[in-house]
Amino acid sequence: MTHPGFEAQLDAYLDGELTAVDASELEAHLAQCPECARFRQERLQLRAAIRARVPAFEAPAALRERVRAAVGAAARGRARRRFTAWGVWRPLTIAASLAVVAVGSWRLALQRTAGETLADDVLGSHIRSLMPGHLTDVLSSDQHTVKPWFNGKLDFSPPVYDFAGRGYPLIGGRLDYVDGRGVAALVYGRRQHLINVFLRPAARGAAAVPSTRTRQGYHLLHWATADYTYWAVSDLGLPELGEFAGLLRQADSAAGAPK
Amino acid sequence: MESSELARFEAVVLPHLDAAYTLARYLTRSEHDAEDVVQDACLRALKYFDGFRGEEGTSARAWLLVIVRNTAFSARRRRRPDADVLEFDEAQHSGAVADEHPEAALLRSAAKESLGHALDRLAPEFREVIVLRELEGLSYKEISDVAGVPVGTVMSRLSRARTRLQQALREEEEG
Repeated sequence: MTHPGFEAQLDAYLDGELTAVDASELEAHLAQCPECARFRQERLQLRAAIRARVPAFEAPAALRERVRAAVGAAARGRARRRFTAWGVWRPLTIAASLAVVAVGSWRLALQRTAGETLADDVLGSHIRSLMPGHLTDVLSSDQHTVKPWFNGKLDFSPPVYDFAGRGYPLIGGRLDYVDGRGVAALVYGRRQHLINVFLRPAARGAAAVPSTRTRQGYHLLHWATADYTYWAVSDLGLPELGEFAGLLRQADSAAGAPK
Repeated sequence: MESSELARFEAVVLPHLDAAYTLARYLTRSEHDAEDVVQDACLRALKYFDGFRGEEGTSARAWLLVIVRNTAFSARRRRRPDADVLEFDEAQHSGAVADEHPEAALLRSAAKESLGHALDRLAPEFREVIVLRELEGLSYKEISDVAGVPVGTVMSRLSRARTRLQQALREEEEG
């Protein structure tokens, strides 16, 4: 019928799949080969017959609906699984439990919010203190210089210690302003790190639960003694900051009776 | 999946549902099976959709047709486990004709084979290249991607399938 191996080439030619060079070669051959020309003619007839009699189908409307519903359901299922996988679910769960807490005990929730605001305040003061010229109002490693400095500036006399022997030297103190009132800020050092200790007299009857927060790379420790409410803030590692807080509490309890 | 992602899926994939259904119809030769294959394929497509970003040279239609094609072939293997054992063999199937059902053979003896019937009787590997080329208008390269065979194989399968159909057409005209 045609030259062996030429049929596929001819088909490719009719399908427009030959390169321009191959196509012009083939055209030259077709022009002088009646058999191949007839083959070409038959293929064109076949193509016309297929177009006329082998239909492309339209997806039934019911199928379209079925697919849409199945895909939508699967996508929703995936979204749920993915949320879980990404842990996005967790904060939502926490938010939900917070909502329950808020409904069940709004006072507690309000206190928590107040605590967060206070933590923001404390962190802000700490960061501000690190700016040039803001760290100390009284620069002294002598606790007996620092403590009297607060006289007349605050309505309380903050306990001041020096832990230089333990690697946490006193650097100085300053007045600061946290949560709408004046507080004592004591600055301690640990190698190149700085620790700000904020304290103010504890509110009567307020039971402060010790807490730890980490924000923007800073650790915040919060605790209270019978007399004072404390915040310690530093970029120091949590274990060392914890050790420092322990020293403070120890010194406080050793100091004994309230002033 | 975000709802915007679902919307993107619907916008990219659903316009090719007719093409998907057409391929499935010819591969399964059954309206009912074709619907199942299309639905199944769309769910698979959803699963792989993250991997489809409509890169250059990858049309959404060809991408969906790959999935439809593979879904249809694996459904067929499930129904006919023996088809899975024997890899399709070009030489063995050189006649490009599928195993015939007894009923089909009976019908054929009564009437000359029509073009559509001849297409249905082609082995699925040959049927698909005809459908992909003549009805879906895919390029050889796209057909090669969909069928998972080299372009050269697409070319030879297409040519042999056409020769077989042409034969049927001639018989029809003569009869």
